Amino acid sequence: MKKYLRAYLISLQETLQRRSSLVMDRLGGVAVMLSLYYFWKTLLSGRPAFLGYSYPQMLTYVLGMNILRSFALTGRGWELVGEISSGKISSYLVRPLNYHGYALALDLSQKTVHLFAALLEIGALLIFFHPPFYLQKSVAAMSLFIGSLLMASLLFFFLEFLVSSLAFWTSESGGPLFFFELFIQFAAGAFFPLDVLPRLLQKGLSLSPFPYLVFLPINIYLGRVGQGRALQDLLISFVWTVVFAAASLHVWRKGLASYSAEGG
Amino acid sequence: MNAIEVNSLQKEYQVFDRKPGLGGSIGSVFWREWKNIKAVDSISFRIGEGELVGFLGANGAGKTTTLKILSGLLTPTSGNVEVLGFEPWRREREFQKQISLVMGQRTQLWWEIPAQETFRLNQAIYGLPDKQYRESLDELVEMLDLKDCLAVPVKKLSLGQRMRAELAAALLHRPKILLLDEPTLGLDVVMQKKVREFILDYNKKWKASILLTSHNMADLTALCPRVLILEKGKLIYNGNLESLVRQYAENKIIRIVFDGDVPASAIAALGGTADSQKTGMWVSVPRSEVSKKAALLLSSFPVADLTIEEASVDEIVRKIFSKS
Repeated sequence: MKKYLRAYLISLQETLQRRSSLVMDRLGGVAVMLSLYYFWKTLLSGRPAFLGYSYPQMLTYVLGMNILRSFALTGRGWELVGEISSGKISSYLVRPLNYHGYALALDLSQKTVHLFAALLEIGALLIFFHPPFYLQKSVAAMSLFIGSLLMASLLFFFLEFLVSSLAFWTSESGGPLFFFELFIQFAAGAFFPLDVLPRLLQKGLSLSPFPYLVFLPINIYLGRVGQGRALQDLLISFVWTVVFAAASLHVWRKGLASYSAEGG
Repeated sequence: MNAIEVNSLQKEYQVFDRKPGLGGSIGSVFWREWKNIKAVDSISFRIGEGELVGFLGANGAGKTTTLKILSGLLTPTSGNVEVLGFEPWRREREFQKQISLVMGQRTQLWWEIPAQETFRLNQAIYGLPDKQYRESLDELVEMLDLKDCLAVPVKKLSLGQRMRAELAAALLHRPKILLLDEPTLGLDVVMQKKVREFILDYNKKWKASILLTSHNMADLTALCPRVLILEKGKLIYNGNLESLVRQYAENKIIRIVFDGDVPASAIAALGGTADSQKTGMWVSVPRSEVSKKAALLLSSFPVADLTIEEASVDEIVRKIFSKS
């Protein structure tokens, strides 16, 4: 366990050391948050509700997206793709280390930094813009929200790991990961609430793991999902997580077996 | 007991056959032809405990592939490999705790932060107790002269400092098997010497078995009594470096600097070759005839200087490759 804690700490140090790329990364996120904030503010002005979201709920959805993007949808997929295609992965594979555990530790350190940054950004937005904000006061709902947030980040970790591992076969590019990143933001509800989509598409997505990444956690926070239902959804997202954990382990092992590190 | 045993090892890769030009690139999007490359072609060798062996061969001869198989990174296509009694590609923890692979070109150090942080991570990874870690680190810092580098972010270290820090990171757990891929690549002559001295010290002190690849002949002559030579995946020589030199360098070279002009015909008459500035000549002579020939040359020409040299290891290897 100690090795993974050490990996978490060293990665935390390195992330903080790379201040300028962290700031750029965050500025990009703030730009997305602000544009969505103004978009929904304009769209909802003068209306009491839209698609069942009250004005404060919709703006809170936008702020919540920033938290979920930062904690659940943050990962080191590109690093993994780079490590596989450059052969750097070798230096981990020869050491007594479980790479999944190691990657999860590094992931968590990035999530920690980004979560803090997101909270600061939202704090600043609340102070300067005074938007109406939906505050969830129920302890039960908050616990379910935090549970779904943790489950979402685990689920994303395994999904991203699975897609990044494809770099074992597509040795020249991170093409699959590029597609995955764009698609997942759309399918998880990280651009807009999924209620905006046509009913058929919504139905289709509800059978997939993606809404459990952003859409569901925020809706639990907003109290739009009853507690019984939330618990049931949490269970389903747990099952998805187990399924993708198994799948990513399987693909990883297959990838390692056919691994031909660069250079001969 | 042998530390490393390799029997009829074979490794094939599948690579995609890229056609030249833009047309080829576009074509490759839709259709790719794959071909099999034999990187290592049924080689066998043994390395004893505490032995230091050099691994020689042109680029793509299969050296790195073999190192990767020995360290457990690659699974062989066929053949048997045992390292400390383990099959490397099973990647058992007990095996991994006793080996280290250092690739000169790739770093395991964390780039933005000081090397000592990577050392502490490795302490945790290899489960070294504090006392053992301290002892090991102090010793490596001393041997590799790393005192001033520990607290500096890795990206600010010079190449030589980084390579030494790399070695320290790889040796904290005192591996019994050390696989080194081009450990002196890109280093200046002074630094090369330092790294070589360290490798020799480590080998003596801990009885570690070391297999190292290098294009640098000075590495091999200074470190490796025995060498393995690979060509196109085949092991073409396995033995003593000195006897290799003797076997392939049947001749010695006599060089002369003239004191005055000597006609080209006179040089040719004695089997010599004039040097480009026409101020001297050299002649290749069988070992047994060196003194006789030297005396003859001294009496035939106005000689300012005469030297007798061994053929360089570089030349010998070139010779071996051209004969095989």
